[in-house]
Amino acid sequence: MSDPRIHGIVLSGVGGQGVLSLAQIVLEALRRSGLHALQSEIHGMSQRGGSVHAMVCFSDVPLTSPIIDEGCADLLIALEPLEALRYISMLRMNGHLVVSEEPQVNMEGYPPIDDIYAALKAVRGAHLIDTEDLARKLSHKQAGGMALLGMASKFLPVTDEVWFDVIRQRFEAKGARVTEKNIEAFNAGRGLVQETVGA
Amino acid sequence: MVQGLLALGVEAVGCAAFDAGIKGAFGYPGTPSTEGFEFVEAMIHAAPEGRVAHWAANEKVAYDLALGVSYAGHRTLVTMKHVGLNVAMDAYANSALTGVRGGLVLLVADDPGMHSSQNEQDSRRLAKFAWLPVLEPSTVQECYDFTHRAFELSEALQVPVMVRLVTRLAHCRAAVTRRETLAPTGLGVVPKENIQEWVLIPSNARGRYQDLLAKQPQMTAQLAPLNRLLPGTGKHGVVVAGMGRAYFDQLMLEHPTLTALPRLEIAAYPLDPSLETDLLNQVDDITIFEEGYPVMEERLRFRAPSRIHGRMDHTIPRTGELTPGMMKEALGLLTPEGKAATTLDIPIRAPRFCDGCGHVDAYQAMQEALQNLGVPETRVFGDIGCYTLAAQEPMGAIHAVVEMGASISMAVGAAMAGQTPSVAVIGDSTFGHSGLPALLTAADSGVNVTVMILDNRVVGMTGQQVSQALDQVERMVLGMGIPQSQVQTLTPLPKQHEANVKAVEAALLHPGPSVLIFRRECIQSMRRGVLKDHDREIKANSEKACCSEPAPVVTETRP
Repeated sequence: MSDPRIHGIVLSGVGGQGVLSLAQIVLEALRRSGLHALQSEIHGMSQRGGSVHAMVCFSDVPLTSPIIDEGCADLLIALEPLEALRYISMLRMNGHLVVSEEPQVNMEGYPPIDDIYAALKAVRGAHLIDTEDLARKLSHKQAGGMALLGMASKFLPVTDEVWFDVIRQRFEAKGARVTEKNIEAFNAGRGLVQETVGA
Repeated sequence: MVQGLLALGVEAVGCAAFDAGIKGAFGYPGTPSTEGFEFVEAMIHAAPEGRVAHWAANEKVAYDLALGVSYAGHRTLVTMKHVGLNVAMDAYANSALTGVRGGLVLLVADDPGMHSSQNEQDSRRLAKFAWLPVLEPSTVQECYDFTHRAFELSEALQVPVMVRLVTRLAHCRAAVTRRETLAPTGLGVVPKENIQEWVLIPSNARGRYQDLLAKQPQMTAQLAPLNRLLPGTGKHGVVVAGMGRAYFDQLMLEHPTLTALPRLEIAAYPLDPSLETDLLNQVDDITIFEEGYPVMEERLRFRAPSRIHGRMDHTIPRTGELTPGMMKEALGLLTPEGKAATTLDIPIRAPRFCDGCGHVDAYQAMQEALQNLGVPETRVFGDIGCYTLAAQEPMGAIHAVVEMGASISMAVGAAMAGQTPSVAVIGDSTFGHSGLPALLTAADSGVNVTVMILDNRVVGMTGQQVSQALDQVERMVLGMGIPQSQVQTLTPLPKQHEANVKAVEAALLHPGPSVLIFRRECIQSMRRGVLKDHDREIKANSEKACCSEPAPVVTETRP
């Protein structure tokens, strides 16, 4: 109960990508690591392809606010590059961004993808992951989210043991194969070379 | 190690109601309240022991169901979103006069900022209007604890008690420590000597209203432990309520100097005005942090207009959700600079129809029919549900969305005023919720109105709960008096497009009311297999029935 600092994670993506599920895994992992954690989510029409985000706050001391202020998040996990860009200003100056390079173009006026990559690469502490390529290599279409989480786990005070426990619990109803595929994706993301981009 | 259940704020309310020994839970889905009912429903299904959980056709029905359980002497929970309370308001306001027998707790989830609602009304105002107590938790644990307390208060004061949540708390997930689960116990039905209290004919109601007013000081006294004044030091004070209290508590962790401010914490209404007097006497200025309407602010402004800061003097933006950022700014606290926002223009990514959704096919048929008849500019009255998405460009297929059931009545009204054709679009669940009486009037009026019922068999938007109108829509329509010749069921699929366009054209040209039922299951519920068992059972029964006796014939109810 010594460090009252409040840590914040923002997760973003497109409705249907599993932003809220990912947030729940993070919340559970932090809680099992003995931390006080809160999650805030906004949904309703989230399955219908709109922009979705969730926030997870944690600390050594009990928290009461589920909202992270602009400029105060330590980590942004984005399942989609444009949805990363939308929330960049949520990050504090030395915060980290873990983002999938795979665009979801289900809207009018989606900016040119190269402009988005350029803007993301200009962010200090950005880690872009080619989730499409990873999914192909792992023959696992939905590997992206878990791979992002694997990379993001480097910035979170949670042991591998806890991550694996939480992931197993989350997927156990879907069978051992699905569970192991997800652990594999998590490990693959974690094993990626931490490429430092940005100024 | 932090122990306990991980739950959303609304789920904690549902869980507490179960643990407090309710006999019945009722509600109508609506974001952000839905999961509260679903949580307690799941608990009850896992261990019924005489308990019942049931979605109702609308919020008023849900509230009356709960009132019936209370009359029978049992504890009960009823859940809805803020605008749902408008629908249940007749029941809620009058139950203040009858009072309750078994404890009755009303969970209302407000939606400041209108994340998924058409307004941001504050239910504290409605509680005040009904002269009833309302508790306002600020954390998920308080959602749980306050619900227990609400049941105790409801029985002690013999009135319904509201627990008011807002979106941020309703959808905040955190650990909850539970208490022991009480078995549902009954007080027995309203005794003979109290029956008149429940019969609100004027001669009884006058007395009951006086009783309700006379009970106000007792309410204030019983709620007093939930509100407190922390004296602090200095000439600037704060009032914190609901999420304002939660955010302030956390700001004090980061900025310990705030702990010294004289602070009035509010978690229950009606409150003792002496708390406000004491604060006003101690400080020069007061800033109010509350979520929603300026309820506390108006109370204090009435007493000291120039010394109060909040939404009304724009210290906090007049509308929208309260945020910790706004509070920091109002308190003069600095936020360190974060990463710069991108200079790229980022368009909004709005929710859209799912790929393959039947609503799109229905709308396309409607638009083409209007085009073919040379009236593409016809204003179409829409309603509340996934199909509201059609109001967005480029589809732009509906031109008014107000509240549940408004589509049919507005189209009839416009037709009465001379609009031809006049079209309403409504979902099956919304039709069951409040479209039925509107259709009764439509049939009675005889005006040229075309009602399209988009029947996807579930409450799609709120998570595919089974619609109360499931498999009943034709019978409901006929029962309201629409002639059978003007009721047609269509399948919204691309391959049916031409036939559907023709059917819409015919309905538009018909001089009286007509109803087109576009039926195709929501693709999300289909994917999840929500109705798989139901449909299997129906099929088995119909196979059995066709071998023994003839199927019932639906007869025309009006010429």
